[in-house]
Amino acid sequence: MSGATAVAGAVQIVGGIALAPLLPGLVQHWKARLQGRRGPTPLQPYRELRRLWGKSAVAPEGATVVYRLAPAVTAAAIIAAVLVVPAASAAPSWGIGHDALLLVGLLALARFAIVTAAWDVGSGFSLIGASRDLTLSVFVEATLVLSLAVAALLAGTTDLRGVVAATAGTEVWTSPALALGALAFALVVVAETGRQPVDSPDTHLELTMIHEGPLLEFAGRDLVYLQWAAAARHWLVLVLAAQVFVPHPRDLWLQLAVLPAVLIVLCAALALVETLVAKMRVLVVPRLLAAGAIAALLGIASWLVSSS
Amino acid sequence: MIGVFLLAALGAVALGAILALGRRTFEPGLWTQAAGAAGVGVAGFWAIGSGDTLGTGFASTFDPRLGVDGLSGLFLGTLGLIAAPAVVFSLRYLESTRRGRMTAALTAAFFLALALVVCARDPLTFLTGWELMTLLSGTVILVARRADRLSRQTVFNYLAVTHLGGVGTWVAVLLLADAHAFGGAVAISSGSGLQIAIALAALVGMGTKAGVMPLHVWLPRAHPIAPAPVSALMSGVMIKVALYGLVRVLVEWVGVLPVWFGVLVLAVGALSAVGGVVYALFQHDLKRLLALHSIENVGIIVLGLGACLILRARGADAWAAFALGAALLHTVNHAVFKSLLFLGAGAFERAVGSLELDRIGGLLRRMPWTAGAFLVGAMAIAGLPPLNGFASEWLTLQALLHVAAYGHVGDGIAGAIALATLAATAALALFCFVKVVGLVLLGPPRSEAAASAEEAPMPMRAALVFLGGVCVVLGLVPGLLFGPLVGLAPWSPGVPTHIGLELPGTGSLPGVWIAVVLVAITGSLTLLRGTRSAAPAPAWASGQLLEPGLRWTSAGFTKPLRLVLELVLRPQREITVQSEGGVLQKVSYSGHVPHLIDDHLYAPLERVSLAAAAQARRLQSGSLGTYVVYLAGLVLLLLAAARLGWIG
Repeated sequence: MSGATAVAGAVQIVGGIALAPLLPGLVQHWKARLQGRRGPTPLQPYRELRRLWGKSAVAPEGATVVYRLAPAVTAAAIIAAVLVVPAASAAPSWGIGHDALLLVGLLALARFAIVTAAWDVGSGFSLIGASRDLTLSVFVEATLVLSLAVAALLAGTTDLRGVVAATAGTEVWTSPALALGALAFALVVVAETGRQPVDSPDTHLELTMIHEGPLLEFAGRDLVYLQWAAAARHWLVLVLAAQVFVPHPRDLWLQLAVLPAVLIVLCAALALVETLVAKMRVLVVPRLLAAGAIAALLGIASWLVSSS
Repeated sequence: MIGVFLLAALGAVALGAILALGRRTFEPGLWTQAAGAAGVGVAGFWAIGSGDTLGTGFASTFDPRLGVDGLSGLFLGTLGLIAAPAVVFSLRYLESTRRGRMTAALTAAFFLALALVVCARDPLTFLTGWELMTLLSGTVILVARRADRLSRQTVFNYLAVTHLGGVGTWVAVLLLADAHAFGGAVAISSGSGLQIAIALAALVGMGTKAGVMPLHVWLPRAHPIAPAPVSALMSGVMIKVALYGLVRVLVEWVGVLPVWFGVLVLAVGALSAVGGVVYALFQHDLKRLLALHSIENVGIIVLGLGACLILRARGADAWAAFALGAALLHTVNHAVFKSLLFLGAGAFERAVGSLELDRIGGLLRRMPWTAGAFLVGAMAIAGLPPLNGFASEWLTLQALLHVAAYGHVGDGIAGAIALATLAATAALALFCFVKVVGLVLLGPPRSEAAASAEEAPMPMRAALVFLGGVCVVLGLVPGLLFGPLVGLAPWSPGVPTHIGLELPGTGSLPGVWIAVVLVAITGSLTLLRGTRSAAPAPAWASGQLLEPGLRWTSAGFTKPLRLVLELVLRPQREITVQSEGGVLQKVSYSGHVPHLIDDHLYAPLERVSLAAAAQARRLQSGSLGTYVVYLAGLVLLLLAAARLGWIG
């Protein structure tokens, strides 16, 4: 393993596990600034995780092993996903490969763990969030797979390291395929990170929440795992956006050097979108995501036309 | 050697069928059947592994011939793998009443009919087995349900639809035999009318039996009312045997089909996959829901088959073989988890007395073994890593992606749309099984019967745990089976057998390591969390207690999706409010999602055929004179036709 690969691996692990909470922190921070408030510091998520780590967990009456294991399984699936998504065009083999479709499966496993726990709780708030999350997931998953397919077709492989390498440079941007894929992926980013207009991360108002709902009963270290997992989802989709769907350099060292700057810009963009756009009615969101899927299909069509 | 072993195993099943008829010998009979089924399974997988062919090869003549090759071996192996635990399950599930003994014997006969289809080497034996498999499964349903009104109606439906559609099978097989191409001995020229006619007839005839949409109408009716072990065999194996016929005809015998036919197969697969799972989501009866999921999974298999046909037509032979391998692997995987789920449903029905989803609940605590195995099956069918359903869905997704990669514009876009459909199908299946797991296994019991449910007895439990174990093993080492399955394609380039799945142009899928990573991290996070916990508290419901009236139902959980899909599904609901003197007395609500294909395709068809029958009845006046006139007319007509040279 070359030095550069080792460094890329270190960025992948340290970034995905330790620095992930910084990303939602940054979004919240800038959102407050844009709204003319001072707001919490970007480090606020760490403070909350530390506070929660010291508290004891609570299980609702009658909860089974499904509820008790849900936070650990969710976090484990997300950690595995962090191993799958490389930080640049090289990454050490962590033993589980770097396949784009495995990422889709791992995100589904995390979702399964948390929404079955909602059934174990049985309260309406958990279940309304779970049922909305699953409804949206149908459209998110189709859009995610299609936008990844655009990039995979350009690269000729679903290995994410190869995809990052193949989408580097400026030549790929001469055809509209990747731009259309990026449009679709942008909607996936918003949906997976649970941000407006899909979900509102600030609200704890029961009737509007989606991802927050199934978390309602968890406390203490269980909640630490779940909140960390939500932050790590930001890392997963934003790193993919930065290294695939945003123009990036070919050189591995340059890719790693530019990554933090691009992540910061993307967080700022999320904050800007959240400030400008109101939350949508939950039943309208599928139309938005379907539009993303159609954009990705058009991207594939344009690739097929240009390659044949 | 394998041949003798296979014959002995089939003999054991037949002996077991006879023994099961006797009151004293019922249990030994079932054990003999189970041992025979296990032997058939071992022999089948042995045949794939060794690559030997047994018995005679295919011939288009009409003298009976039997034999086994790799593809037959796969389906025999699957049949044995499913039937052995299903029969062990029957030991306690079927009681030694006359009806129970008859059911057990007929189930064994059904098993032998299924084996006959995959071992048949001539058209006549093939069609005999094909019809027997339909008739015997119908008979088992009638016997097990004492031919009550519902079962008579359903079996009539089942036989009528599969026979009308089944004409396609006869046409395809007889056309093949006529061209001396049954078995592929004579090549049929690509793109010829004969090739298209055979392929279309096979798609309709065998597709009906496999339950692809829109020919599936019998399936969600017939599967749920059969006894659990028979449901497991019907959903797990019988519809797969129909797919065996389809693979034989489309992939092996008719040569390379044009691209548009592959796109048609892809479209049928996509419709079945998404249609099956959408209607499954809105079911409130567990077995009916599982039956609709069979349509979904047949759709996924057919998607792999369609990808294989397109890739072959485009000359991408390696990926065409991988796509076939993906379809066959999903066939085995679906057989395993679907029979696990059907047997689990049987165990729940026995314990609770009902399979209405809103009246079960809390079984994970009451029946930990059965419910635990059922949970594994639910996760496998929902396509979650590291279980077997994910491995074959991953392969199918890759195959569809390569349809886009190797295709031209039209078929490339078809591949991309199928890719998105399969991704959405996986998410819908997850949705559906979260609902099932939540309503059946978790939460408080939702009826008194569920509150006092008892764990299933030993043989039933063992069968379920065994099948759950197979789900895990096939998820960990899918490559061990996938390699030989890719080799079954006649043009196969061969693929080195890995433990995980490693294909060119993909990241790899090392099942074992994914499982190790997930289990290790989950374990360490659980240790890190510690056991510190406050006293249990009631779940938060805005300060109220979570009373039974506040519990979520099946319909409530799926409501957001129903609203999103309203334009397509056209759900109906009726709310009646009774008030007296301005005071609200009672509100009643009923709602359901109508089955559009039933309502808009089959209902008009039924009306038209009944009207036509009424017209035809007028011909039957009953008076002798009329019939003499008919006969004379017919004779004159034939004579005229012969005179003009139309016939003879």
